[in-house]
Amino acid sequence: MSKTVSKKSLLLYLAISLVVILVGAILFGVFGFNADSTVKDYTVIEVSDSGYMSLQDKFRTDLDDLCKAEIEKSGLKIKEDSYIESTSVGGILSYTVTGEGAEAFVSELQTAIGNSQIEGVNDASVIVTYHEVENAPHYEYIWRTAIGAAVVLVILFVYVAIRFNVGMGVTSFVAALHDVIVTLAIVALLRIPAGVGLIGVAAITLLLSAFLNLMVFGKMRKDFRLEERKGMPARDAVALSVKESTKTILTAIVLLAAFVVVFGVIGVIIGFDMASFMLGMLMALVVTTYSSLFLSPAIYAAIKERSDANRAEKAKYNYDSEKKRQKEAKTAERTAKEVKTTDEA
Amino acid sequence: MGKKKSVALIVVITIVLVALIFISVATFAIPSTVKIFNSLLSTVDLGTDLGGGYYTVYYPDGVISQDEYEMIRVQYEEAKNEGEDLNAYDNPEDYTKYKGVYLSDEITDEDGKVTESFQAEFDSAFQALQKRFEQKGFVDYSVKLQDDYTVLVQIPYTNESASDLFDQFAYSGSLIFSDTAEGTASKNVLLEGDSRYVKKASAAGNAESGYAVAVHFTKEGQSKFAEITGELVENASSSSTDGSAATAQLYLYVGSELLMSVQVDSAWDSDVVYISGSFETRESAETIACVINSTLDENNVFDLKLDASQIYRLSPTMGENAATILAIAIGVLILAMIVYSLVRYKGMGLAHVYGFLTYALIFILCISLIGGVYINMEGLMAIVLSAAIMVSLNWYAFKNIREEFATGKTLTAAIKAGYKRSLALTIDLHLVLLLASVVLMLISTGTVHFMAFVFLMGTVISAACTLAVTRFYFYMFLAQPKNKIAFCNFKREETEDE
Repeated sequence: MSKTVSKKSLLLYLAISLVVILVGAILFGVFGFNADSTVKDYTVIEVSDSGYMSLQDKFRTDLDDLCKAEIEKSGLKIKEDSYIESTSVGGILSYTVTGEGAEAFVSELQTAIGNSQIEGVNDASVIVTYHEVENAPHYEYIWRTAIGAAVVLVILFVYVAIRFNVGMGVTSFVAALHDVIVTLAIVALLRIPAGVGLIGVAAITLLLSAFLNLMVFGKMRKDFRLEERKGMPARDAVALSVKESTKTILTAIVLLAAFVVVFGVIGVIIGFDMASFMLGMLMALVVTTYSSLFLSPAIYAAIKERSDANRAEKAKYNYDSEKKRQKEAKTAERTAKEVKTTDEA
Repeated sequence: MGKKKSVALIVVITIVLVALIFISVATFAIPSTVKIFNSLLSTVDLGTDLGGGYYTVYYPDGVISQDEYEMIRVQYEEAKNEGEDLNAYDNPEDYTKYKGVYLSDEITDEDGKVTESFQAEFDSAFQALQKRFEQKGFVDYSVKLQDDYTVLVQIPYTNESASDLFDQFAYSGSLIFSDTAEGTASKNVLLEGDSRYVKKASAAGNAESGYAVAVHFTKEGQSKFAEITGELVENASSSSTDGSAATAQLYLYVGSELLMSVQVDSAWDSDVVYISGSFETRESAETIACVINSTLDENNVFDLKLDASQIYRLSPTMGENAATILAIAIGVLILAMIVYSLVRYKGMGLAHVYGFLTYALIFILCISLIGGVYINMEGLMAIVLSAAIMVSLNWYAFKNIREEFATGKTLTAAIKAGYKRSLALTIDLHLVLLLASVVLMLISTGTVHFMAFVFLMGTVISAACTLAVTRFYFYMFLAQPKNKIAFCNFKREETEDE
């Protein structure tokens, strides 16, 4: 019997998942998710003018260099910088900064720009401001997705229960729920920066879990109809089907992982939010693969073993009831004889 | 399939696929004209993470930016130096600096803190803005607090005027139906547009017939609306002297801002009234519908005036040129997949490549031509997942064919049996994923709604391409080679007779 679908393995898988979920939930409860730049509160220093920047590239570049040098000198750290153009007139050099004293630094930077030798700085009426931006999450989007995901889980259970069997329906329901929760827990646990996109990662995890589990259950459904597999013990039959479908599952996962890793590397180069999103996606791939190849076969093997045992029990010939029936028939025969004898007398 | 028919089909299909690939990726000038043909991929609407968008900052009455403060200060100084009447100018001393903005004395108490009434009004306005942008259903957007008393909003590029959208979403006050023309300070209220009378508003119509806002009335609202429109026409006919058909103008205001007006020529007794306005796009009608819907909930009615005078272009939040770089990466990865398919499955791989290209090109056509499809990172992952499903199921079918062939069946029988073996799972998988994406699309909003929509399209196209198109291509290519077994990269093991 394969060790991967044994009772001990199932307990081990469940214990691992439980620990990950608990630790992830505690970290989420205490610190929340590690916010990425889309949902993080931030402080920004903005240098704006009345349109000179959009006309004079050299002026903008010189001003940008000066601002960056002054900000670094002040002890503040630049997390992101960009040039934002107005749809009408003017532009803004924007620096998202971390560190103390941004408010006080604004006047220093204004003076430094005024005293600089940058050509055109006097005509450009440059103004330096600072802003504190606070994220305001929109919860309707989150709870509506949660309701949608719950309905998907029910549909998944009903469909698989009808088209495959109830045991597989239960397993795919549990596996999909497990995959979404464990992915979110790992994101919280590893402090992977996450924003609004995390809800998308959860939704994709749900779809991916359904896909991979159905691939494995499709193979089992086909295999269990084969004559040579019918007599096999439940755990062995499940383990064999999983072994034979591993290659197909891994091919699909490698294909997806190739995209995720390449996108992640691109993210590291062009913008870290993409890298952190892809890191979340990579966790989803790992969790769904683990679940489809280890956890859900182990759960289903336990269900199948029990259901096979029940079926065997029902199919067993009931000797006790046969003896009872014979005894009752003899009693009835004897009674009839006695009645007959009494009548004759 | 006969060889000649097969050759003809291969040529036609190859030409169509090449042409579609060309219009999907190439942007070129149309000869003898000044027009430019934009590639299909360049017309795909993107979210703010991949394509950028617009952002603005709403300043409530009594809160001004540093730019504005500097202007007030300079004007005041100049007036003072020139000895002008200073009462005509804002005094910069009436403003207190707070973080990155300046607060007027009118909204602050003696300690320099904002008054409770202003705070309550601002909270209400902020909540209403959140609601309006949420209802608008952007693929991604953000409404954030800046310096505690201003609101920073980011939206993706849209087909309507961003300036109009930002302005209209700032309208304060409640909805009223009036016969008073725009410009008059005091409005004659014929009907209050609250939830007693109005159920909801929605965008209606199409590009041919024009767009409109459909106002859905409650039963009470319907009779009241019939009453006021009847009275309007009656009044108009009584004042009409030339005997022409009497018409009156009905105006819809939110606070003092005109949303739209409509000409009334009879009493309208209907539960839905379509008001055409002058909407150039469906999105602009949706914006007005969102404003109306938000005012139906009295918690979202606010009186604070909000000003969004400056609108800026936002770079993609995932990084400059993120969409182009990702598109190139996807192209390279698809190329790698194609090479692997051809090496591993030879002839079957060729059919798969044609099937995959058909899938990809139909997908590109759908996302570029169907309105309301936005691609962001989650949408992109939905495309990748759907493509991976399509590829996996094709390879799964090939694996089954290989296994069937290994049992000693003829190639034709093995292909039939292999596809038959994978049919049930392919249908089940696509059906489950189709149902899941429909549910997510209908229930969820924002990113997940758009992601599910993209995945739904991908699932349908994948089902068609896996179940029918690739199989058809396979038979088409199979008609050509002499050694069909070698073409499929199969080997028949020779067994020696004893």
